[in-house]
Amino acid sequence: MVGPRWFVGFDSLMEFVAFIIALAIAYQAFKGYRITKQRTILYLHFGFALLSAGLLIDSLAGFLGVLSRALRGTIVLTLVGYTIYFLAQVLAYGMLIFAYVSQTRTLSTTSTSLRLAPLFGFMALQAMPGPAIKLLGPLVEYHPVSEIVLLFLVFYITVQTGLNYSATKDKNALLVFLGFLLLALSHLLFILTPLGAVLFVIGHMLQLFGFVSLLAMLLRVTGTK
Amino acid sequence: MMQKLPKYRSQMRIYVDIMRVIQRENNRAKPTRILYGANLSHNRLLKYLEELKTVGVIQEDVEEDDRLYRLTQKGIEFLNEFRAVERFAGAFGFVI
Repeated sequence: MVGPRWFVGFDSLMEFVAFIIALAIAYQAFKGYRITKQRTILYLHFGFALLSAGLLIDSLAGFLGVLSRALRGTIVLTLVGYTIYFLAQVLAYGMLIFAYVSQTRTLSTTSTSLRLAPLFGFMALQAMPGPAIKLLGPLVEYHPVSEIVLLFLVFYITVQTGLNYSATKDKNALLVFLGFLLLALSHLLFILTPLGAVLFVIGHMLQLFGFVSLLAMLLRVTGTK
Repeated sequence: MMQKLPKYRSQMRIYVDIMRVIQRENNRAKPTRILYGANLSHNRLLKYLEELKTVGVIQEDVEEDDRLYRLTQKGIEFLNEFRAVERFAGAFGFVI
């Protein structure tokens, strides 16, 4: 990986904690769907279930990667784990965006530009490969394209949750907004990792704090009767 | 913005509105109070009350020729669970 040597293993541990939190959120969303039978809640469930599966696979692959390295093995495992994690994240965030878009379609209150934001993201990305990616140079080492895709997806969700907070001023909405904001920042730092290994560490810490923020919301929501 | 309610209430939302009116009335509500509180027509109210009685979340008592509706323990637990789901969905900006 591109992080400092002393950090090897800690990233997997952090992802394992995030996996448990994502799983708890997926479970709460499933309970919500069972009661309400509302599709948006089902998408929320699938989104976090996929995210938790990806986090579990990547963290286990990371642990196994550490072991195989100790046994003079290869780092193929960690690459496979990351690839699965990336695909799971794309599907998970895509599912959440679909939930927001389908709700927006029902309520017809958000502007068209916001509804098309994910599309703009992909268009920007399509225009980018080639000269722009070459300009990034060393960034290619740490999956810049995949992290840029994820950044766009999470950014869209961050904007939606931010709009929700600005409309409701609710503390739970603030925690969700903060959670996705930290996740977006973590992807930004992963892109910039070649500029300094410490950014990889900070990125992972922000990712964990993002999930902790979502956990705080979950505890508040389920704890108050 | 995101929290604006949809144009039409879902069936689940109507059930919950009825149960909340009963709860607001100190768990002892007359049909007319529920009718106004949940904003329903008389026929639809009777239909929904019957359905809620069937699933056992409310019960009907008769006191001095008055019909009164109360939440059962199951109904109270359901409302608590629904409240948690509502807050959870609302935190993400989804309206139930």
